[in-house]
Amino acid sequence: MALIEATHIVKIYPNGVLANDQVYLSVEKGEIHALVGENGAGKSTLMKILYGLEHPTSGEIRLRDQLVEIHNPQVAIDMGIGMVHQNFMLVDSFTIAENIALGRESTLAAGLTLDRQKAIRDTQELSKQYGLFVEPNARVEAVPVGMRQRVEILKALYRGAEILILDEPTAVLTPRETQDLFTAVRNLVDEGKTVIFITHKLREVMEISDRVTVMRDARTVGTVNTAATNERELARMMVGREVFMQVDKPPVERGTPVLDVRGLTYVNEVGRTLLRDASFTCYEAEILGIAGVEGNGQTELVEVLTGLRTASAGEAYVDGTSVLGHGPRKIREAHVAHIPEDRLTNGVALTASIGDNLIVDRYYHPPVTQMGILDLNTIRANSADMIEQFNILAPSGDLPVASLSGGNMQKVVVARELSSDPRLLIAAQPTRGVDIGAIEYIHQQLVDQRTNGLAILLISADLQEVMKLSDRIMVMYEGEIVAVLPNTPDLTEDKLGLYMLGAERQPTAEMEQNR
Amino acid sequence: MNLHFSASQWRLLIAGVALAALVIGLIVYQSFELAEADNMWDAITGAPDWQNILFVDALIGVSVVLFILELRGDSMRILLTVGMALLFGFFMTAFFNLDAADKFVRGNFEVRILSDDDSPVDLSYEQDISGAFNNPDDPITEGRYSFLGAEGDKVTILAYAIEPESGLDMQVALLDESGAVVAEATEADRRVQKQYGDYVQSETDAAMRDVVLPADGLYTILAQPEGDTELQAEFGVALLSDHDSAAGLIYNGQAVEDIFNREGDTDPLKQVDYTFIGGEGDTVTLLAYAKRANVPVDLEVILYDEAGNKLAENFDANDEQVEAYEELKSTRDSIIESFVLPATASYRIHVQPQPLDLSTKLDETLDETVHAYDAFLLGPLSKLNRWMDWQRDAITLIMLGLAIAIVFRAEQFSLGAEGQLYLGALVAGVIGLSFGDVPRALLVPIALFSAATVGFLWGLLPGALKAYLDANELVSTLMLNTIAVKFYEMVITDQLTPPDAGFSASDWIPENGLLAPVITVEQNSITIAIYILIALILFSWLLIQRTPLGYEIRMIGANIKFADYGGVNTKRTIMLAMAISGAVAGLAGAHLALGVHRKLLLTISIGLAFEGVVVALLARNNPLVVPFTGLLYAYLRAGAQIMEREANISAEVVRIIQAVVILLITAEALVTFFQQRQVRRRGSGGESGDKQDRSLTPAEGGVHG
Repeated sequence: MALIEATHIVKIYPNGVLANDQVYLSVEKGEIHALVGENGAGKSTLMKILYGLEHPTSGEIRLRDQLVEIHNPQVAIDMGIGMVHQNFMLVDSFTIAENIALGRESTLAAGLTLDRQKAIRDTQELSKQYGLFVEPNARVEAVPVGMRQRVEILKALYRGAEILILDEPTAVLTPRETQDLFTAVRNLVDEGKTVIFITHKLREVMEISDRVTVMRDARTVGTVNTAATNERELARMMVGREVFMQVDKPPVERGTPVLDVRGLTYVNEVGRTLLRDASFTCYEAEILGIAGVEGNGQTELVEVLTGLRTASAGEAYVDGTSVLGHGPRKIREAHVAHIPEDRLTNGVALTASIGDNLIVDRYYHPPVTQMGILDLNTIRANSADMIEQFNILAPSGDLPVASLSGGNMQKVVVARELSSDPRLLIAAQPTRGVDIGAIEYIHQQLVDQRTNGLAILLISADLQEVMKLSDRIMVMYEGEIVAVLPNTPDLTEDKLGLYMLGAERQPTAEMEQNR
Repeated sequence: MNLHFSASQWRLLIAGVALAALVIGLIVYQSFELAEADNMWDAITGAPDWQNILFVDALIGVSVVLFILELRGDSMRILLTVGMALLFGFFMTAFFNLDAADKFVRGNFEVRILSDDDSPVDLSYEQDISGAFNNPDDPITEGRYSFLGAEGDKVTILAYAIEPESGLDMQVALLDESGAVVAEATEADRRVQKQYGDYVQSETDAAMRDVVLPADGLYTILAQPEGDTELQAEFGVALLSDHDSAAGLIYNGQAVEDIFNREGDTDPLKQVDYTFIGGEGDTVTLLAYAKRANVPVDLEVILYDEAGNKLAENFDANDEQVEAYEELKSTRDSIIESFVLPATASYRIHVQPQPLDLSTKLDETLDETVHAYDAFLLGPLSKLNRWMDWQRDAITLIMLGLAIAIVFRAEQFSLGAEGQLYLGALVAGVIGLSFGDVPRALLVPIALFSAATVGFLWGLLPGALKAYLDANELVSTLMLNTIAVKFYEMVITDQLTPPDAGFSASDWIPENGLLAPVITVEQNSITIAIYILIALILFSWLLIQRTPLGYEIRMIGANIKFADYGGVNTKRTIMLAMAISGAVAGLAGAHLALGVHRKLLLTISIGLAFEGVVVALLARNNPLVVPFTGLLYAYLRAGAQIMEREANISAEVVRIIQAVVILLITAEALVTFFQQRQVRRRGSGGESGDKQDRSLTPAEGGVHG
């Protein structure tokens, strides 16, 4: 008997987008059920419907064979459905115990006071019961991401959740934290809970889940037993065609230094040092990967190197020319290309046309501008060219970028940056939020360009991506470079994880040698 | 603008041209008043500068086509919104006109009795009468005048010579019904002369002051000459009293008047009764009529006898009666004609406004509303003169709309156009005033260039503040507006107003400093500003769509972080966008000074620049659409003004209706505007996947925001 069953779910958003089309999901009691699919496949919509955040246009939800209607999250909670969102819904300035108690104490009968002692006791009890370690007295803002996530899970359990929906829980975790989470999830199931696990990382699906439901294009492709499938088959179900998970990366001799960074330091407005004395070199025909938990200075490094922030100290040379201190244009004119980590913030102008988005680095000189006037034919020819060359799914370059899917938007960014005749490419999270097909394509592009002599600085929160593509790997922790390692087959995630969490630091001499 | 037309664009073009032809046709038909013309072509060619007028009409047509082509489906939405807003305005107008029918129960009226018979009484209180002694045609030696008095009434009776030099010495006596003398007098002392100087001017006249009547009844005043009874002279008798007369009306006497339902009265007069004494068999005609022809009060009159029996009534006079009696102005007046009185007695005339029925009320409301809306919707076209006013207003608004569209394109909420307009007007005006002997071909370009320059600088300033000090442009431009406007007022008041002028304004700007007229109708002209405007529209469009700077402006507007990332010098672009916008606004000021007012007035614009914001927003900040929205907006403004003048709606109400119409239109523009911003911020697009993308950014990302 299914614990919760959703049948024939159809959801049409007011803007006409069909997000769920006759979707079927059946989850047994006590299982870990993975829900996978590419971005836009409708996973989140389905979960929002189960949690009462959205209402299905049609379809039925059965809980323990009872037909139910979930009007809002409170109803869902009362039915024992809890959800842990990607963006944590915690009050940063409250302690963990307060945060956990907050939801249930919402009926604060006796004035507005919270029984802190009881909250702490309850938190400790729960924490012990499910093996989810938290510090009840610590403020949320002071604890690591992994613990925040455990707080969210405890919060849901404290409210009596029997079914726990985890929405892409590993997107923000280090490998070690991911393992901790998996242990905790197994404990939950042992305690009789049921977990719906949303992800698009197939490796995790194979590792943790009992059964998998795959969604594609708003439809359910099918549900399979994890034991009876493999990553490759799941990928095929998700994308609808054969996917090659491996990139073709021929060995190549690295060339002369292209980027030379010396003692780069960045102190923010309030005096915190976010980047400390970073020195490294990136060579022709090399992908230098930067690994690290997000928020350890990678963003600052990228933004200082691309001119979006001003360095507090240090120098950077591209082919021997100092490039810092003059803004992005000077850096771009030194043939540095940049795939920004958040394409919606920096990478594209959504309301502008694809054609306009493709010329932001070259609009002011020929052939785009001739005698002070923009040549529309050149712009159009350029966008038609790029759309073809980079397989961007767009009927015309005159359409606004907002009309493209995430993967195709990223392709617009990649197309612009790779077509700028760069010597150095700084690629920050180049495949974040991109579907598998596009990931495969972008990875191959990066490797091909590197083979052709491009120097690439690759920053990614996805450790697998870094390990798959890089020739050398540099680890950052709290704004410092703590290790530089050649990407040999014996380099493991666990080893990198130790550096990433600051548990270990490479000896200076060894680091110096690999620089 | 895409010159390679696809099938759907061809359809749009055809729709646009059709709409344009319709608009041009309407404008030409109305503004040349072709409805009344025998030969249409003659009527058109008879107008001054008719070729140029047709040229401007053609430009209006072009603006319609551009509007449809550039906004496509959106244009229908705008037209629909305008239509809805106007419909709503119609109902509002009707609402404010619900009391339109009240004019029929309100206003000054008069009542008279006409008769060929002698009146049983000759006088009532506060009346006078005159006669002549020893006139050869009708020799009398005494005057006997009767009046109806009530017990306790205090009356003053004066008998006097009309010509003080005639040597007539008067004496007067008051007799009761039986002929007994109640009081008499032969002299008028100085106090009387002083108090009743209108009548009594000599002590030979006679006066009885404050005689208290002993009983109800008919009294007779007997006026006789004293001494020389042969003297031929005119005399007068006046009967004065503070009391209401028992007999208000007498045959052929003075009309009595009053006001029904006077506005503002707490206890307004709703009906009134008058009495008169009539003789048996007398044929009388009773008239109740509006005092002035433009007061449409609708009266009814009823005649009662002493016992209260209704003898006759009338609600409306007929056309022949209106023709026959000079007092009657329309059939709304009432008349009881040639009524024979049954007895000698006191009669009562009851007069009241004719009660309104619902259909009258509704009819009248609808009539007034249609009349008002006719003025609103077609007023600006009803005469060439008004058409000109509309065009001049539109030129200013389009220029301002262009100025705002340029900064808004860069997402800079600069509202500095007001200040830039004032300074542009000031500089252009001062140059025009000061160098009147420089040839026009030189002076006008210099004045225009200077106005643009000062506007440019006044825009550069908040641009620099924004770019380098991160000062909010909304606040800084509003402050700079105040500085500019007050500085302008100071210069006008202290420096430019001629010493003998009655109000603050400069002298007329000499001919050489003015923009040359292109169309002149009754001293009202449209100037070469129209060509400047065309140049500005092309310039703005080229700037935004076809130049690197325009690209920078658009990218900053779409996503400033993207522009930054791409290497755009965003500070420079923001400053330039605000400065160029300022230059355009400065030119609008020059147009007002040198083309419209032809002098520097103390107040040249109240919030005109803010209306430019509406024009720009409606046009989606597209320079090719601004002309249409500017024309539309100016038309609504002009229409509202004409409605205020022509319709029976107070100015405040017109403002409210105008504001509601504009509010609805603005709301439409704002909704679109904010939707676009949301897209920019969040990125929605058609794909729900994008939403997920966004949320993929981990919570940690906030650290480096």
